[in-house]
Amino acid sequence: MSDCFDIAIIGAGPAGMSAAITASAGGASVIVLDEKARAGGQIYRNVTASPLPSPEVLGPDYMKGRQLIEAFDNCAAEKLYQASVWHVGDNGEILFSYNNETRRLAAKEIIVTCGAMERPFPIPGWHLPGVMSAGSAQVMLKAEGIVRDDAIFVGTGPLLYQIVAQYIDLGVPVRALIDTTPWSSYASSARYTLDAATKPGMVVKGLGLLGKIAKAGIPVYRAATGLAIAGEGKATSIRFESGGKNYQLKADHFFLHQGVIPNLNMSRALGLELEWSEQQLCWKPKLDTWGQSSVPSVAVAGDGSGIVGADGAAAMGDIVALNKLFRLEKISEQERNQRATPSQRTLDSLNSFRRFIDHLYRPIDECRIPQQEDTVVCRCEERTLADLKQGFELGGKGPNDLKGMTRCGMGPCQGRQCGHTVSELLAQWRNQPVADVGYYRLRSPMKLLSLTEMSAFSEITPRPVYEDAMADKEAV
Amino acid sequence: MNTEVVIVGGGIQGCSTAYHLAKRGVQVTVLEKDWVSRHASGVNAGGVRLLGRDVAEVPLSKAAMALWPTLDEELEADTGFRARSLINIAADEADMETLYKRREVMHGLGYTHEQIIDQKELRERLPHVSPFCVGGVVSETDGYAIPYQSTLAFRRAAERHGARFVEGKAVERIRKVGPNWLIETRDDRYECKHLVNCAGAWAEKMSVMIGDNVPLTHSAPMLMITTRMPHFATPVVGAVSRPLSFKQFENGTVLIGGGSKGFADRDNNRTRLDYKKLAIGAKNVAEFFPIMKTASINRMWAGLEAYMPDNLPVIGASVNAENAWHAFGFSAHGFQMGPIVGQVMADLVTGSKVGFDLHPFRIDRFERKVL
Repeated sequence: MSDCFDIAIIGAGPAGMSAAITASAGGASVIVLDEKARAGGQIYRNVTASPLPSPEVLGPDYMKGRQLIEAFDNCAAEKLYQASVWHVGDNGEILFSYNNETRRLAAKEIIVTCGAMERPFPIPGWHLPGVMSAGSAQVMLKAEGIVRDDAIFVGTGPLLYQIVAQYIDLGVPVRALIDTTPWSSYASSARYTLDAATKPGMVVKGLGLLGKIAKAGIPVYRAATGLAIAGEGKATSIRFESGGKNYQLKADHFFLHQGVIPNLNMSRALGLELEWSEQQLCWKPKLDTWGQSSVPSVAVAGDGSGIVGADGAAAMGDIVALNKLFRLEKISEQERNQRATPSQRTLDSLNSFRRFIDHLYRPIDECRIPQQEDTVVCRCEERTLADLKQGFELGGKGPNDLKGMTRCGMGPCQGRQCGHTVSELLAQWRNQPVADVGYYRLRSPMKLLSLTEMSAFSEITPRPVYEDAMADKEAV
Repeated sequence: MNTEVVIVGGGIQGCSTAYHLAKRGVQVTVLEKDWVSRHASGVNAGGVRLLGRDVAEVPLSKAAMALWPTLDEELEADTGFRARSLINIAADEADMETLYKRREVMHGLGYTHEQIIDQKELRERLPHVSPFCVGGVVSETDGYAIPYQSTLAFRRAAERHGARFVEGKAVERIRKVGPNWLIETRDDRYECKHLVNCAGAWAEKMSVMIGDNVPLTHSAPMLMITTRMPHFATPVVGAVSRPLSFKQFENGTVLIGGGSKGFADRDNNRTRLDYKKLAIGAKNVAEFFPIMKTASINRMWAGLEAYMPDNLPVIGASVNAENAWHAFGFSAHGFQMGPIVGQVMADLVTGSKVGFDLHPFRIDRFERKVL
């Protein structure tokens, strides 16, 4: 089978890099595909080639990505950057755009490490120009060194505080932080303090971020509700309530964030079974302890499997790769179990801490489930809550029926942005658990593909050196 | 449970038949193994085409075409039908020869709905067409509709007249009990006088249980749709001899068909795409319409579709059993005929006069051939 890789890994973030290191060291022929120009994923974006004069200002959590990337660069896996995967089949077929052409490759085993995306923030006016996600603002900073003066940050969660802190460290003026974490979350997450105690360092770090924001003199509005962004043609102001008072603040840039959710487009296009996570309020692929999905040749690791964070993703990448080596009969079951133990311990303790974080920064209902008739749910097709309600009343009881009737989720993002909102809305209207409502059925391509690229086809096969290396190994 | 008529299959043929029967006061139940409009009727290209039909189909297709503009009102729903005309492009003089020959045949039969156009007129109607195209043929009444909405429109109208739809129930057994049919799904039994087989890609299984053999096959024609583009084509576009077919919707998206087939996994209700063939299709479109080089593909899919060896449907009575009727095997061009086929089936079931020659569509037309 010279035309087939042992393992294809999609995504070179922490999970993908770690899986590639373990798998290639174990003698498997591995190819890693990533759509960006270099490894790192969202979290370590450009850490080895930062546009900033001193990227250290972005913090030690960012800088430590350098080590992993270096180990990845030195591992034997084949790496293909700027390769945008748009189809993965359960038969091992992978199609991607590369150099303005469509390329095809085949792999016996596939590890999907497509990471997370930010949870949509469907409040009135979130679709207006001038509003973007805080994560995108951070990508802009990491990738191009671009910042915005006097922006207003809105929402909840560690990433939001982290980017505000990064702005402070860079000396960029911040207009305000509107924090939607309700007071009740601080109380209810207290019962997970034991979990939090598993990672005291991370708690201290989190508190440090909030302290830094307070010390910098940035106005912070706590437990905000009733948020609505307004403006003619572009966002110019935000209204909300905090501490019993109504506010209206003006700004040109609004950065929203309320946590991250698994990026599901590839899992769904592959037809992997999903399950609803009540703890993280998101869909995630149904996996066993080795990351194996409902399709036997496909495993998922990292945030794409449910939010685990960068360190959890790296641990999971190792675990999943060991299992793939076992499936490929490169190591025994016993060796797999033994070697996976350290990473499993790391993952377990991180997941305990995650329980605490998930409860503390649980996004509030009114910011997840739109309330006002004219709030846009599907930005691609510009479908509002009222449009969806009408579709529901006409018989669109499931996400796919509703899509057929309203076109909600049919646009270029294929429902990435509205999928979770629609599931939760339907659950509310049907008065049923979200798990019973389900999620969109997806189609290829997983991302937009130019017709011209589609017209050109070629095959990628493993480098012959692998065959030699394998022969040598067998000879020994 | 007892009912006068059971229709197997909730595609457009089954829904339209249910509508026409229910409207006449007949008690009818539709059994659908998945959900209404799940397969070919929900995911086809939505072409409402009279142009280029096999001469045997022309009378039915013409009658259906007369109905399409009236359907929204009749069904009290939005089928998304738009009359935009359909042009088949001639890429060279050989194509033009084909068109002249076809014109002779059609005129001989008294059909004048297909008009040959020259290069100048082609460019007027389709300003973005490649200069190498020499002419074409147009049918003014043609256009498109939204398949999912159209099929649902028939279903809802049928329900308003009392038809019952049972989804998620696959028919497992069919047998004759005295004068009646007994139809069993996993959980339920239905006894009825008349049985209508509109089971699409699964229809030959029903036929065998009824007692009719039929050489039906199935396949998975593939489609792709682009993101919104500037408006560049009003008519629906096809080609005389090349696998090219597309239409631009009002929202700017372009749906590209062309008949190339993926892989059908009928037992698992699934299809797989053949990307190499889609790549050829993509190349073709860009060759005929250079503006399409800038297009971005948003989605690609395939649907399970039933094919007959002569690409003509089966419409008519069972030859081996009383009170069983077939309408299937439309070979990827049945959507447009749905509105009239339902009427014909209702005529057959109720013993009314059928105004069409159904001889070319009889189920045993291949049995008589000696190998």
